[in-house]
Amino acid sequence: MNKEQALFLLVFLPLIGAAILPLIDRASVKLRNLTAFTLVFASFLLSAFILPTVIGGREINIILNLPLGFNFILTADILAVFMAMVSSFISAIIILYSFEYISHYENQREYYFMVVLFLGAMMGLVFAANLILLYVFWEITAITSWRLIGFFREKQHVLRADKAFLVTVFGALVMLLGFIKLHSETGSFDLAAIKAAVKAHSISNLAIGLILTGILAKSATLPLHTWLPDAGVAPSPVTALLHAAVLVKIGVYVFARLFIATMPLGALWHAIFPVIIGLSALVSAGAALVETDLKRIIAYSTVSQIAFIFLGFSMGNEIGIAGGLLYILMHGLGKAGLFLCAGIIEQRTKTKDITQMGGLIHVMPVTAISFLFCAFSVMAIPPFGGFFSKYMVIAGTLQAGHLAIAGIFLFGALLTLMYLFRTFNMIFLGEMNKVPVSGSSPLMVFCVALFAFLSLAGGCFIQYPNRIVAAAVQQMTAKPL
Amino acid sequence: MTSLFIFAPFFLLVIINFPLGFLKGRCAFCLAASLLLAQVLLAAFHPWLFWSAYPDCLRQFFGFPLAVDNLALIMLFVIGIVALVSLLTAQDTLAGEKQKFNFINLLLVALIGMNATVLVTDIFSLYVFIEVTAMASFILIALEKGKFAIEGAFKYLMLSAIASVFMLTSVAFLLLTAGDISFAAVHHVLTNVPGSFFLKLAVGLFLCGLLIKSGVVPFHGWLPDAYSAAPSCVSVLLAGTVTKISGVYILLRLFSSVFTLTPALQNVLLFAGAISIVFAALAALTQDDFKRMLAYSSISQVGYIILALGCGTPLAFVGAVFHFFNHAIFKTLLFVNAASLEKRFGTTDINQLEGLGEKCPVTSVTSLVAMLSTAGIPPLSGFWSKLIIVMALFSKGRFIYAGTALIASIITLAYFLSLERRIFFNKGKPAPAAGGTATQISRGLNPAKNFSGIACAEILLAVFTIAGGLGYAFMLNTWFLPLKAIWH
Repeated sequence: MNKEQALFLLVFLPLIGAAILPLIDRASVKLRNLTAFTLVFASFLLSAFILPTVIGGREINIILNLPLGFNFILTADILAVFMAMVSSFISAIIILYSFEYISHYENQREYYFMVVLFLGAMMGLVFAANLILLYVFWEITAITSWRLIGFFREKQHVLRADKAFLVTVFGALVMLLGFIKLHSETGSFDLAAIKAAVKAHSISNLAIGLILTGILAKSATLPLHTWLPDAGVAPSPVTALLHAAVLVKIGVYVFARLFIATMPLGALWHAIFPVIIGLSALVSAGAALVETDLKRIIAYSTVSQIAFIFLGFSMGNEIGIAGGLLYILMHGLGKAGLFLCAGIIEQRTKTKDITQMGGLIHVMPVTAISFLFCAFSVMAIPPFGGFFSKYMVIAGTLQAGHLAIAGIFLFGALLTLMYLFRTFNMIFLGEMNKVPVSGSSPLMVFCVALFAFLSLAGGCFIQYPNRIVAAAVQQMTAKPL
Repeated sequence: MTSLFIFAPFFLLVIINFPLGFLKGRCAFCLAASLLLAQVLLAAFHPWLFWSAYPDCLRQFFGFPLAVDNLALIMLFVIGIVALVSLLTAQDTLAGEKQKFNFINLLLVALIGMNATVLVTDIFSLYVFIEVTAMASFILIALEKGKFAIEGAFKYLMLSAIASVFMLTSVAFLLLTAGDISFAAVHHVLTNVPGSFFLKLAVGLFLCGLLIKSGVVPFHGWLPDAYSAAPSCVSVLLAGTVTKISGVYILLRLFSSVFTLTPALQNVLLFAGAISIVFAALAALTQDDFKRMLAYSSISQVGYIILALGCGTPLAFVGAVFHFFNHAIFKTLLFVNAASLEKRFGTTDINQLEGLGEKCPVTSVTSLVAMLSTAGIPPLSGFWSKLIIVMALFSKGRFIYAGTALIASIITLAYFLSLERRIFFNKGKPAPAAGGTATQISRGLNPAKNFSGIACAEILLAVFTIAGGLGYAFMLNTWFLPLKAIWH
């Protein structure tokens, strides 16, 4: 198998495979679950398979020219492969977790179809090197996310699913307008052609602003962030998959793809953007501090952490960008772990209100320790993985000379520490208020323990991911902007 | 060869009306269905050169020439598909053999009218066949003789009459000033004598007539009544083809190759299009009836086509025709969905329908596909046509209109999401123990037959929508981009 075929397969295997899942479902539920897992894990293996080639400095391209500039172009560079590996790996573990979690509910057929389709669209988005193609995959992820948030079909849930869909689609439409403006300025939708055109003349601030709106909506950043906490009504694996580990990273990834690897952000937005994300980090951390719904706390925490990733990317120096990329990995692992823990807690206590919990460490020690480990990573306690990424982002900010912004974000990091400790304290320590229903599945506990372990291991063996990240940063910044 | 499209339905109409009993029921349906299928296949697989290559031996019966080009072929295809779907729906929903037979007859008359409208090359014959189509559709709307149906038909009749007066006056003016009414002659006169007051008046009057026929805001009053009062199978036909062919298609045809698009006219079309898009979408948000919501949505989508036409570039024209095609497919699909719900649950009132996602999986999934396509969500076909329209507006420097057209999609999405949420995407109320409408709704009046005509139609159209979206490059290359040549 050559590398081009691998790239093609890793995008289209889940996309086409998703359509087959409902058919397999009729034969055997077990087989369907396994197929879903295999499809996603195959994407991970295939991205790992092409990693050595791209690290070696070769880009893998699949180019099909189509009318009106709506070309079909997939390009694998280090950034894309890194992102693909992170998303598909976390998704695979989450699917493993949902074998047990989802088995209690109806509409499983739709669940697996949507999750695998989502992952396929995510892979497509990561490798798309044409703005229209990117937009197509972007919206497919929005459709799947909408169906998955409304999974339980309760009236309130579906309303919130609609809200999430409308906000992200609104952002996407504004972004599409930005893409079309970009097309009218550079004459192409292809990233490579845009990159070449940008050298000659700069891009208008309007186009960049329009595109940024879409990115902020997708990544749930102030002022378009409220859909994310509301989306916590979805099943826990879905919140973990979509709203912590993978979907919200789409905005961040596209930011890196467009405004680091393709064109400069421009002076105006360089001044405004850090202020927006600084506010986003503080406001959402404050909200997380007063919320009592477990999943809303973690969701607000995501909004806050996303701002750190944006910060790293927007500083424009190597350490900041590298920190942002590592942050995607570490936050994905840690936050997915937290959401999955929340899923176990919710299924056993039948509540999401942390004021009604307490003392759970005695009945679910492994979950408690895993929660703590994942929380440590998100809080940035050394030697957990999250520490290195947060450190590098702040260091990048200082290097760029933004003392005040670095201060704001350090305060945000402090708030992270406070709200996560508060949450842990109220759930696991103290008096036991309510005796939970017995029996959580070993598979689910294994998955959260795996995330906890990886958060720790990610910190102890930081040099391995760092090698990929360093190469990615070099590739992104080496070419003249 | 071309005249076959007019003669074949005519002969069929004569044949099934022979006083022979066995021709009336199933046989008439099969004959009509095969005729429509043949039209679809012929239009899809034969380039227009094929049709023009042979001398038209039947032509001498007419006093007017016919011509086929790519635009006409696309229209013939759309007419065939929608009429076929409407026929399938009618078989499942209309009560009684006689009613069905009447429907088939009227459908064939409308088919003759529409096919001829697409093929003629002079303005007077165009007018005649618009009237033929309209006559058939008045009766079709009132087919079940309900109070609202008669009211809807009457409103349509009245406004159509006004439109006819406008158009006929315009034809008279054109005949007086140009001396000839063939497309080519009128185009020649219009380009060479630009200043004539009568010509301007004639174009303006014709435009007014067509805007009424297309149901563009502010001439839209009749449309929601006619669509929602008609039997479901007729709404399918009306929304998908009748009003589109006798209004929107003629706009496309006349402004692409007959009338010249002056800047003033461009502004009128752009403004009418944008107002239709936004106003009708907002109106759709407040509707409680499935079919009325679809009717408003239809007005809104026609707005996009008018907007693109007003942009006045070849690319925008391609976008307009592409959107016409897509709209015919997905709006027909939605009306078939409505027909399916009406048949099973006896109502299209959104408030009385809920939790149906499990009970009607085919309707639920196909309606979702159609809705997302209407809202312009990729990768479905509606996205590509909207994108082309917006790009064309943008490259012409019409930023405000481009932005309006794009952002209005969010309103489209909003009303369809509310529809989807209320009908399909929720848990139904648990059925009460005995009696009452709620039980009827939750059980369904008529349990669905497997592989009914409606389900086939739904799946067929959904496949078109998805395939058209994924295979957009093929569609553009073979069908739509060659249309650039037609523009002036």
